[in-house]
This record gives sequence, C-alpha cells and structure tokens, in this order.
Amino acid sequence: MTAQALLQVLVSGLLMGLLYALIAAGLSLIFGLMDVVNFAHGEFLMLAMYATFGFVFATHLDPVIGIPLVAALLFIVGAFCYAAVVRYAMRAKANIGMVQIFSTFGLAIFLQGAAQYFLTPDYRSIQASWFGDKTLNLAGVFLPWPQILGGLVSVMAFGALYLLIARTDLGKALEATREDQGAVALVGIDKNRVFAIGWGLGAALVGLAGGVLAIFYYIHPQVGAAFGGIAYVTVALGGFGSVFGALVAGVIVGLVEAVTASILPPALKNIGIYALYLGVLFFRPSGLFGKL
Amino acid sequence: MTQETQIPAQDLPHDAALTHFAKSRRNQLIRAAVIFAGIALVPLAVRDTYLQNVMILTLLYAAVSQCWNILGGYCGQISLGHALYFGIGAYATSVLYVNYAVLPWFGMALGGVLSAAVALLVGKLTFRLKGHYFAIATIVIAEIGLLLVHNWDYVGGALGIQWPITGDSWATLQFARNKLPYFYFALVFLIVTWLITFKIEDSSWGYGWRAVKDNPEAAESLGIEVFRSKMAAAALSAFFTAVGGGFYAAFVAYIDPESVMSFRFSLLFALPAVLGGIGTLWGATLGAALLIPLTEITRSYLGGSGSGIDLIIYGGLIMLVSLMKPEGLLSLFQFRKGRPA
Amino acid sequence: MNRRELFKHGAAVASAVAIMGSIRDASAQAQEIPIGIVYPMSGANAQIGVDARHAFETAVNIVNAAHDVKLPTAANAGLAGLGGAKIKLIFADHQGDPQKGRAEAERLITQDKVVAIIGSFHSSVSNTVSATCERYTVPFVCADSSSPSLHRRNLKYFFRPAAHDEMFTSAMFDFLDAQKAKGNKIETIALFYEDTIFGTDSSNVQRKLAADRGYKVVSDIKYKSNSPSLTAEVQQLKTANADVLMPSSYTTDAILLVKTMSELGYKPKNMIAQAAGFSEKSVFDAVGDKLAGLISRASFSVDLGVKRPSAKYVNDLFRSRADRDLNDNTSRQLMALLILADAIDRAKSIEGPKIRDALAATNIPGENTFMPWKQVKFGEDGQNVDASPVLIQYSGKGFKTIFPAAVAAGDPIWPMNT
Repeated sequence: MTAQALLQVLVSGLLMGLLYALIAAGLSLIFGLMDVVNFAHGEFLMLAMYATFGFVFATHLDPVIGIPLVAALLFIVGAFCYAAVVRYAMRAKANIGMVQIFSTFGLAIFLQGAAQYFLTPDYRSIQASWFGDKTLNLAGVFLPWPQILGGLVSVMAFGALYLLIARTDLGKALEATREDQGAVALVGIDKNRVFAIGWGLGAALVGLAGGVLAIFYYIHPQVGAAFGGIAYVTVALGGFGSVFGALVAGVIVGLVEAVTASILPPALKNIGIYALYLGVLFFRPSGLFGKL
Repeated sequence: MTQETQIPAQDLPHDAALTHFAKSRRNQLIRAAVIFAGIALVPLAVRDTYLQNVMILTLLYAAVSQCWNILGGYCGQISLGHALYFGIGAYATSVLYVNYAVLPWFGMALGGVLSAAVALLVGKLTFRLKGHYFAIATIVIAEIGLLLVHNWDYVGGALGIQWPITGDSWATLQFARNKLPYFYFALVFLIVTWLITFKIEDSSWGYGWRAVKDNPEAAESLGIEVFRSKMAAAALSAFFTAVGGGFYAAFVAYIDPESVMSFRFSLLFALPAVLGGIGTLWGATLGAALLIPLTEITRSYLGGSGSGIDLIIYGGLIMLVSLMKPEGLLSLFQFRKGRPA
Repeated sequence: MNRRELFKHGAAVASAVAIMGSIRDASAQAQEIPIGIVYPMSGANAQIGVDARHAFETAVNIVNAAHDVKLPTAANAGLAGLGGAKIKLIFADHQGDPQKGRAEAERLITQDKVVAIIGSFHSSVSNTVSATCERYTVPFVCADSSSPSLHRRNLKYFFRPAAHDEMFTSAMFDFLDAQKAKGNKIETIALFYEDTIFGTDSSNVQRKLAADRGYKVVSDIKYKSNSPSLTAEVQQLKTANADVLMPSSYTTDAILLVKTMSELGYKPKNMIAQAAGFSEKSVFDAVGDKLAGLISRASFSVDLGVKRPSAKYVNDLFRSRADRDLNDNTSRQLMALLILADAIDRAKSIEGPKIRDALAATNIPGENTFMPWKQVKFGEDGQNVDASPVLIQYSGKGFKTIFPAAVAAGDPIWPMNT
C-alpha cells in the first residue's frame, strides 16, 4: 500500500469514526443517566434519515437546513418513547435489566414494521444537495464533503454536550439525577422530566447523525441495524455512560475498521473491532472510560 | 406455580419451610408429568402439518430457552450470544453427518461437548464483566463466531450445508412428511432440560446462585465456589443449546450461517424465558407457547401482504408483555394458589 | 394451564384453518387452481417481495384473461386444458430464512393444497423449499435463484427456466473475448462480491472463467454485506484499477459502492455487474448519473420489444401495476408463472406428478416467450439450458441490449470511463 492510500484509509476511518461517535453519543448519554441500553437506537437513526428525506421531499430545500429540525423532531420522539415505554420499564420490580432490554428491543421491531408499513420497504436516497457527491481532493487524498460535514457536526455536538453538562442547570440536574435518583426528588427535581429530557437529547444526537447520513447513504426500514451494532460496541468500548469515552471509542472503531479492512479480507473487518473490544475489556472490564 | 421456591427462606420457620419445600417439589413433579403428558397428546388431535410444525418449533424454543434460563435466569448471567452454541451444535452435527456419515445422534453429542468447551472459554473471559458489559461481550463473541463460520470454506462458508434427501429413519433423524418424530424428540428434549432445571433449583449450585443474585456482597464470600458453579452452568447450558442446534439442523435439513447463528437467534432464545418468567421452572415453556405460535401465525397469515404488519404486532407484543408483566406471564397464574406463607 | 392454553390455542387455530380450508374447497369447484408464491415480504429484502407480487399478479392476469399476445396460455381466459380454470396465487413470507421458507411451503402444500410453488429469491431458501416440494411431489419452479448448486441435487420436481450463474458469467466472458477480438485491451479483472451465497457462487464462477480464459484477477474482494462503510474496500479497487470491475452486490451495497467510488474519485474503466442490485430501479434512482456505461447481465431488457413484441406488451402491463419497468428479477418471475401455467394446461390435471411430467415435457420456442431465450426445454436436472442470457448497458437514461449480437440493439460503449 502506498503512503497515499494508507493516508486515505486513515482519514476515511477518522471521518467515519466521528460519525460512529455521534451515533453512539446518545446511547451513552441515556445509559449514563439511567442505566438503560436502548436497543432501538439504530431505529432512531432510521427515523431521522427518513425525516430528513421527508423534509427534502416536502420543501425541496437542502437537507443540511433540515438537520436542526430533524434533531428537534427526534428530541420529541425520544422524549415520547421515554414517556410511553421506558418509563414503565423503569418501574419494573423484577428483572429490570431484561425488561429494559426487551421493551426497547420490541420497540425496535415495532418501528421497523411501522416504517415498512407507512414508508414501504423501497430504498430511498436524497438526490442532489449542497454536499452530496462533492469531494475535496487534497493531493490525491479524497475527503467527501458529506463526511467532512459529519465530522464537523460530530465535533460541534460533543462540544455543545460538554458545555451543556458542565455549565448549565440542566446539565447539573442530569448529573445529579444520575448520581442519586432518590435524592434529587428532595431538592425538587422531577426525575421523570429529567429522564425524558435525557432521552430527548440522546435521540436528538442520533437525529443529527441521521440528518448527515441521509445525505450520502441509502434509506431503508432496516438501515439502523448496520449502525446499531457498531454503536453498542462503541459505547461499551468507551465505557457505558461516558459520553467522551464514546467520542474516543468512535474514532478508534472507525480507524480500526478501516485498517482491518485493508489488511484482512474485508469480509472479516468487524473482527478487528470485536477483537479490540474484547482485548480492552480484558484489561479494563468497564471500557476505556467507564465508571462502574 | 413456582412461587414456593422463591419465598425467601427467612419468611418461614426453618422446619416448616423444609417440609413445605419437599411437598411443593413433589407437587411440581406431578404437575409437570400431567402437563407433559397432555402436550404429548396434542398431535393426536391436531393433525395439520403446519400446526405440528409450529408446535415443534415451540417445544424447541422452549427447551433452548430453558437452557438459556439456567445461565441467564438462575445464574443471572444475561447471555445474548447463545446463537454461538446453537450454531456449533448445528454445524458439528451437519458436518459430521454430511461429510463423514456420522449419525446426527453422535453429532449432537459431540457438538454439545465442543460447545460446552467453548462456553468454558467464554466464561473464563467474560464472567468477571458486569451487567451490560457481559451482555455485549457475549454478543460480540457470537458475532465473531458467525463471521468465522461465514468465511470458513470447510464448513460450507456462506453456501451452508445441505442434508441429502433420504428415506425416513430414526437413525438419521430424517422424516420426509411425518412431523410426529420431530415433535416427540423436541418434547423429550424439553422434558430433559426441565428436569435439569428442576434438579438445579434444589442443588447447592442453585442456592449459591440465588444467594449471589439476592445479595451481591455475598458473592465475595462465596467467590470461587460460585465462579466454578457458574462455569458448570455455562457448560451445561451450552451443551444442551448445541443439542437443540443439532436437532434444528436435522429438522430443517439445510443450514447456513445466517439461519442458525445470527443475533436474532440469541434474542429468540432469551425472549421466551424473559416473557414467561425469568429464572422460573415454567417461564420458558409458557413464553415460547405464546411467542412462537403468535409470530409464526402472524407471519403466515399476515406476512404475505408485504406490509410489515407482522413486525408491528410482534414488536408491539414484546413491548406490551415486558412492560405489563415484567416478572413474566407466569405471574398471571400465581393468584390462583394464594400465598402459602 | 399450560396444556389447556396450548390446546385451546391449537384448537382455535385449527378451526379457523378448517373454515378457511372449506372456503377454499368451495372455490376449487369454481375452478380455481392455487399456486404458492414464497418470497421475502418483510425484512431487508421486502422490496423484492413487493415487486415480485406485481410480477406474479401481472402473469395471473395474462393467464386468466384473454390477451392478444404470443405467450403461453394468454390467448383465452383461464386454462383451456382444464375447462377455462383460473389460477389463484397464495403468497407467503419467508423473511430470508430457510426454515421459514420450508415451513411456509409445507403450509401452502398441506393447507392450501397448492399444485405448485414458485420461489424464492434467496438461493438458501429455494434450497429448502425445493426439497420440501420434492418430499410432497409438488413441482417447484425456481424463478430467480441463480445458484448453480440448486439444479445439481437430483431433484425430480425442480425446474429452473432461467439461467444460473455459470451461464450468466459465461456470457460476460464471451463478451469480453469479443471485445478483445475487436482490439480492446482487456487484461485485468477485479472481483467485488458480498459474503453471501449469491456473492460466493458468482465470484467462484468468475474466478474460474477468468483463469480459463486468460484474464488476471488483480483484486478479489469479499466484503461484508450491508456494511456501514466500503471506503477501505473501494480504496483497494482503486489501487488495483482493473480493466473490468465485476461487482456482485444487492441494492444497499450497490448504492454504497457507487457512492464511495465517486467520493474517492475512482472511475472504473469498465463495470460488468452480476445484475442483483444493478438491475434495481432504486439504485439507478440514487446513483444512476454515475453509472452511464455500466454493463449488467440480464434476463430481460425493455428494448427487446423491438424483436419480441410481447416484451413491450408485458412490460406495459407490468408498468401499469408496479410503476417501474420489468427487470432481471421481475421478468424471470413473470415468465416462470407463465411456463408453469402452460404445463398445468397441458397436464389437464392439478396433481403434482402429472404437472411435473408436463413441465418436464415443456417445449416453448423462444418467440413464444417475452425473454431473449432460445427456447424453454428442461434437462434431466430441471435446468433450461437454452435460457440465453443477455448483457445490457445503461446509457444514463435506460438500458440497451448489447450482447449477444443476435439480439443486440446496438454497439456497446467501451470503455465506460477513460
């Protein structure tokens, strides 16, 4: 492999990794807040992609303009899913872990079926857009603009998330609720409201990712599966609940995937990610930045 | 049905508890004999091939879910990677039969042993992980297995393994149209796994696990002993899951990686136990008896439209049951007995 | 409780089935012949099933109503051999799972008393469905699974009117040889295929034929289907920059492959696709602008209408239902049902073994099909060896048949990109 080709693989892996990180961020946020793994996370991504597609279809505006709207819509979807499903799963007295896993898993299948029912199983994609199909050529290393956009959105989202958690009252409420769910009630924080906001934020983050992804990816009721699997490994690698672990882990996953696909037969490329994950767990059972 | 065994011992005076326990164990066995005998009679009334097919799958999933329950329910190790063991069983049985003419009965046993060995290795690696880390690690290990089988030409790779079409025979477990032999095999398989679970409930392993589940600090003091028994449980669970996989291969007479090792199987093995009642004697059977017929029948009679409505019902059902009866559907039946304490 | 529950459930279903069964018995008297259609109707390939449904319903219309077109069983309404009996389709969903396909086939045969089954897109599912049909002595017409292993199992009830991968791939290499003879330089080939039964079969044949005919395989990439990213894979293709890139991919990966190639600034000199994704409308909707000059193997092309008027006729019928042209899959599905109807018509019976014998005796000359085939005549193994495949080229707007010369509508654009 030439140096240029190697650079290309690394840069592509980095950009894809930032996107993985953005997808994983919401999952990690929700977990950190309330110890719930959302198995419908990939389906949230799918909904966000369809929402972006719908926005372009309805307004003929550029998908980039729609991304904030999609994130806002996903905030509502996330908060609603908390209020309608997860809230009840949290109340379970028996085997709460399994109830959460399977209620969100049921939600995932439900959303796939609903997407197929209302949107047909046809493959969609967004045709022309400001960033779509455009590529930046840096001395033979090609950087697709949609993925540069994705990387920027990802970095900005993590920045905003940092400010939110560290500097705002909401962030403090999130942090406090996460530390001690019982005690916050005493200081007048409504636990349910904080959790709903947490789910909304988590879904809005994946909404951003879906908005970017819709520009350069196909859209289909099952599209979440491809990214969902990677998101779980990313979150576990970074450490459940560590949002910034997700950022680091996302980038690592992107890079390892790209490099493995260049060394091993590409059909085995996930082995690189999986082996890395198991290796890390062997030394750090709570992931890179996990707090358990 | 099983709440007797779940009553914390401190609620009852010691001797009374023991007597009560012995009596309830006996009742359990009698009830099980009646239930299984009843199930055995069902095919005499239901002769439709399709429904028999659904019943076979129900029994198979009930049995495999019961195996999962040993590790996931009683030990509290939520494995979402049991498809690996199922796949090892299916592949060992198929490779040995198709390539070396080893009868599937031996194939299942060998697959079981291989699977148990793998489970010990996996256990060694993962038992120190907690909660979701353990669950995701099991997913990842199963996915590695899937990828390797997918790309391993010796076992057919993506092409899978086709069983030759032969005459009806118990030796090769091949029956062209007759479903009854599969039905009774699956039923016996379920009974065996049930009996093992029954035995475990009243063993020192069972007590150790319950103690650990109820009180994680106790795990520290019981430490090594519990770790060993958990390893044994993992091996046992994997062994019988692999037997189920071998049976599945003989039943379908064709396997490929996706159709025996994909992640959805791991979920399908956990789901009946969770819906029915995790860590209970009858939960897996009850969960499978509801879930499998419902998914099969909605797919068969609604799936042909291509509208996805079958997925909506399936997903909705899982959500509803897990939210409304988090302790499992089995709890629906408990009020009839009244609390004995 | 458990037993009673199961019993009650079983009994309820059984009675429902009995009612449905009695309705069907009544309809059988009104001369309706049930045919089973087993396809993926939900899951990742649901769109295939939805399109297939349109294709089969179009075929039913051709059989059941009178059409003035030169196709088997089209002329009069219903099947003349059975007193004008109409055919009726019963669809079943296999979700890409061989076990479910087998169970559905069994249900269709035992409950719905279908006289034959057509399926099943996935080669793995066609495998178990055809084995089940064999056990029940019901014919299976394999419309669109192209794995060569399927007809090599000594099944008596298996019939495949269309070409399999070896025939399709031979056509590709015949074409390459012809281009070479014209003085074009073609030395190297890149294989790019998904890690499924389809990709494995396809690439195995391509690798073998490349070796036999003296082409060098410079890149041999098996990728994981439905990957989130194909960047590293495409980078390897770009580095190898073969004279001909041969992808075997379904819709999702086909879209991603073409997008990634464009992002990385890789313009393959030539592309010859093993159809699949590269015959789907969604791919050309998404990335058609980057595919001008793409060549794909095919069973059908709209411009065949010039030489076979029935092709245009059938395509128009299909279009009015499905809002898209017939493609590689839907054309084979539609034709498969016509061939089956023709056999039932000649068998004058709805018994499996008799229909099987009639299928085995099928002899339909090419001009009585709407396909580019020489004829339909099954060998001992149930394979139609005269299902001559064609190669079609995408112009940026539509497809043009370019090979073999006998049916070609024009010369190919070669190379695709310079």
